[in-house]
Amino acid sequence: MSDAPILVVGGGPAGTSAAATLAEAGLPVLLVEQRDQLGGAIHRQVARGATHAVHAPARHRRNWAELAQRVDAAGSRIELCTGTVFLGVDGDGRHLLDDRESGRVVARSVRAAVIAVGAVEKIHPFEGWDLPGVMTAGGAQVLLKETGVPPTGPILVAGTGPLLLAVSAQLAKAGNPPVAVLERGRPWVRFNSLLRMAWAGPQLGEAASYVATLLSHRVPYRTGADILSVREDDVGLEIRVRRNGTVHRLRARHMLVHDGIEPNRVGIPLSDPGGAVPVVLAGDGREVLGADAAILDGRRAAREILARLGMRLPEPGEARLTAARNVQAALSDLFRSALPEPTPETLICRCEARRLSDFRSLPDDASTREIRLMGRFGMGVCQGRFCGPTIAALRGEAVPSAIPPRWPLRPVSLAALADLKTDDLES
Amino acid sequence: MMTRIFWNDYVVPFRPGETIAAALGRAGIINLGPAGGPARGRVFCGIGACQACVVAIEGGAPVEACLTLARDGLRIGSMPAVVVSDE
Ligand SMILES: Cc1cc2nc3c(=O)[nH]c(=O)nc-3n(C[C@H](O)[C@H](O)[C@H](O)COP(=O)(O)OP(=O)(O)OC[C@H]3O[C@@H](n4cnc5c(N)ncnc54)[C@H](O)[C@@H]3O)c2cc1C
Ligand code: FES
Repeated sequence: MSDAPILVVGGGPAGTSAAATLAEAGLPVLLVEQRDQLGGAIHRQVARGATHAVHAPARHRRNWAELAQRVDAAGSRIELCTGTVFLGVDGDGRHLLDDRESGRVVARSVRAAVIAVGAVEKIHPFEGWDLPGVMTAGGAQVLLKETGVPPTGPILVAGTGPLLLAVSAQLAKAGNPPVAVLERGRPWVRFNSLLRMAWAGPQLGEAASYVATLLSHRVPYRTGADILSVREDDVGLEIRVRRNGTVHRLRARHMLVHDGIEPNRVGIPLSDPGGAVPVVLAGDGREVLGADAAILDGRRAAREILARLGMRLPEPGEARLTAARNVQAALSDLFRSALPEPTPETLICRCEARRLSDFRSLPDDASTREIRLMGRFGMGVCQGRFCGPTIAALRGEAVPSAIPPRWPLRPVSLAALADLKTDDLES
Repeated sequence: MMTRIFWNDYVVPFRPGETIAAALGRAGIINLGPAGGPARGRVFCGIGACQACVVAIEGGAPVEACLTLARDGLRIGSMPAVVVSDE
């Protein structure tokens, strides 16, 4: 067992940093990433074969160059499996990997696991959020990084948080500035939080450069704006917005929405650093601390595993993680705002086409089980990654996810599962 | 080398190394259907989490358009409609 690899799931900054740290300590690592290239959300790489440049702050480019170099230097100590989806841990404790290229599911025995699957964007639903043409702002951003080409036609960006600025500036630089950026919060009036942000040096500089880009492209940035509904017609989307008590109608071809991010924890194994096969979570999938902290958190996760195996430890980085936590707290305070109530017709669960009126017809004291089985919320193919936060907000308390975690994390073909291969049997 | 995929009989060119989602997006195809379904497919999260971009593939299991690289000659189409029960 001691020559079994350490599994690292996720090739973003957290997973890559954990994998490099473990390999540098002399351990064999199995690094699994669902995409064809490492990079994750922040360092999403240009499609192989494309040549455009991605506009990103120099600090991020340096960080990624350094991580990629460490993975290269580890050579064969890191076995890299791209195009492979981690499905979870089955009832027998086997780690299941779906190799999309061969259409095979493989079960691997591992010595320990670091799970670094990143965050998902939160979306506060409004009538029409489920229409084609509506997309998450971060999703549009990673596609832009991949292709270098912005969506064609007028784009409206709406929701809350600093990512709205980043995406809008990148769209402008790529040649299609948004028609407007609608921020629900009123960050300018929260002086105290602004002051608390004052020492978040690099992030503030980054935000200032995005604002400058938007100004030079004359993109209006409006705060205190609530999205009421979106309708589609032959030419695109009509968006109803309420600002200072007045309702406005705007038109766009694409609408990019974003209400912050939260750890992608649905179905993910629970953290169990003391278990027979230790499991440690890392990066934004553990706690949303941002891109720079994800690198430190990957190393922290690797340290936890090295400590458990009685090996020599690299330097800790806890102090900088605490600083990142303070920045995130100040940011969420800066953009804090009340959520508008969706209309009864608003889809809450897109997968199972369940509306707010369906949710309201459940008893007030409905248990999680009843919400799932009677209401069919959180039962669809996305496993509640998107309706979960909405239902938690409507109920005023979190909906506990299924325990033990459900696998597979993603739909997998029955043929591939039936053909399951176990490495113990193969070798 | 010809590089194109087929979306419900439309010919969609792509650049090698690009995902199906990127190719469809460049071609201006944002409605992944099916027509008339209560919740039509579309690329939404871009990171494999929402499953709204899942497309049917000739001769294989359905895949997320945002994760899967386009391959020359690939034939893809809309997934069947989600059925809503009116109780
Ligand atoms: C769409 C999006 C855009 C973002 N854009 C920015 C930005 O511009 N600037 C910024 O500072 N922050 C951004 N963030 C925040 C982001 O979470 C952090 O900046 C940073 O990328 C976190 O690093 P990570 O390694 O924890 O996760 P990620 O970078 O998200 O990496 C997780 C990796 O795990 C892989 N993965 C997930 N599930 C599986 C599975 N089951 N099997 C195999 N592989 C899997 C993913 O493909 C991904 O490569 C964005 C987040 C999202 C969701
Ligand atoms: S767009 Fe969400 S899974 Fe592909």
